[in-house]
Amino acid sequence: MRGNQTVVCRCEEVTLEELLKTIQTFKCSSRELKLRTRAGMGVCGGRTCRASLDHLISQKEGKNPTDSIPLKYQPPIRPITFKNLGDI
Amino acid sequence: MIDVIIIGGGPAGLSAANTCARNGLQVLVLDEFMKPGGRLLGQLHEEPDGEWWNGIKEASVLAAKADNLGVDVKLGVSVHNLQTDKGNWVVFTNKGKFRSTNLLLATGAAETPLPLPGWTLPGVMSIGAAQVMTNVHRVKVGEKGVIVGMNILSFAIMRELRLAGIQVDRVLLPPRNELLTESSNPIKIVDDLSEAAHLAPGFIMKWGAKLMRVKALRKIGLSFYPSNGFKIWDVPIQLKQAVVEIMGDKKVEGVKVVKLNTKGDPIPCTERIVEADFVCIAGGLYPLVELAAISGCPFHYIPELGGHIPLHNERMETPVEGLYVAGNITGIESAKVAMAQGVVAGLSVSQKVTKRIRLEEMTKVIEHVHDVRAKSIIQFHPDIQKGRKKIEILWNHYHQEKKQTKIPSIENSV
Repeated sequence: MRGNQTVVCRCEEVTLEELLKTIQTFKCSSRELKLRTRAGMGVCGGRTCRASLDHLISQKEGKNPTDSIPLKYQPPIRPITFKNLGDI
Repeated sequence: MIDVIIIGGGPAGLSAANTCARNGLQVLVLDEFMKPGGRLLGQLHEEPDGEWWNGIKEASVLAAKADNLGVDVKLGVSVHNLQTDKGNWVVFTNKGKFRSTNLLLATGAAETPLPLPGWTLPGVMSIGAAQVMTNVHRVKVGEKGVIVGMNILSFAIMRELRLAGIQVDRVLLPPRNELLTESSNPIKIVDDLSEAAHLAPGFIMKWGAKLMRVKALRKIGLSFYPSNGFKIWDVPIQLKQAVVEIMGDKKVEGVKVVKLNTKGDPIPCTERIVEADFVCIAGGLYPLVELAAISGCPFHYIPELGGHIPLHNERMETPVEGLYVAGNITGIESAKVAMAQGVVAGLSVSQKVTKRIRLEEMTKVIEHVHDVRAKSIIQFHPDIQKGRKKIEILWNHYHQEKKQTKIPSIENSV
């Protein structure tokens, strides 16, 4: 298995190759990277790959992370049923 | 009426709950796990004085106290959202809504993954998962395993696995790729581990203590480090070998390993397969801040504390009205520090509710946090003190700027 075929976002099965290609093509932020590839948008809410996505972007930009959190946290932060979400 | 909801029933959350209850507050603790104690439940290590730290025992002591003090601890409850409504916090969970005037976030930390080829195979787990399976669920994780990643946590849990009679074949570095830069650099690892020499004295002694203590000489020290590694608790620590791929058809069958030079570059034609039926990935910890982010609390990036940290002061207050933090959400440290911080947070909440806490008492518990930190044998980051100083300065700065303005909490309609 080639290193670039490594799955980074396990929930949405996004590979390192796909992420690197997207960063190269669109010169994007972590948020744009997420929206374009769905990495970080799966059931775990990005708890597993968030750090990797941020790391990839800060490496490419050659900058240290800023004080603001790159990928916004949004409720619900845990997978829940529609019944719960609708508060029925 | 509930005075305070505490999210997270680990060392920080339970210590805070007990402090609040002692001061007469109505306390509700919510935790996702089915047992109280959080990560205490996995901990078992020997202190330098030969005493054993048994996390399960510590957790049961805290939980029994909470029970005696009338703290309501609800387990198996996941919080998925927070809002404010007329000065009250509304906490949304899988078991309904809860309201209180004060909210303490003691959500702890999560593990940083090390993505490498084959890490999605069954039999690959985070080092923390191996710890929970072994010490909490008493399930043997496998017959023979390897650990990928070298840090305080991986060595501490490696010993726990050994104590449980589980064979750990070796500890190796992760491969160097776009995702893993620091954790695959042997010099960086030596820097970090030299600060933790007391955890495994024999290891550093064998290796030439002087060489390792002097930063400039560490590179030379590394060149003398044998490729097969020195052993800690019978397990070879292979600083100059990396796992390039986890192999297996339907589950883990082994790892492909390559030798590294002193700089951490792979040496060509040195690849070989090491058999294993489980692999633990140890990428370290980061503060679990989801709820603090939703609450609207300002953040700062402080690498010494493990990443993005909600702004807070030594009393564990945040700039958001009625919002407090304690434990690893404020920076990655040991359970003992988390417990001491929990007491401080509990006292701050109690002061807000009762207005009866004496200043001396507050000063005493804050000083206790400093003492515990200074004596702590498990330092996750060598510059933890520097990180704590940074957040203190940032708080003072923030406070001066906002002195005349009352800081509003988030106002969402519920």
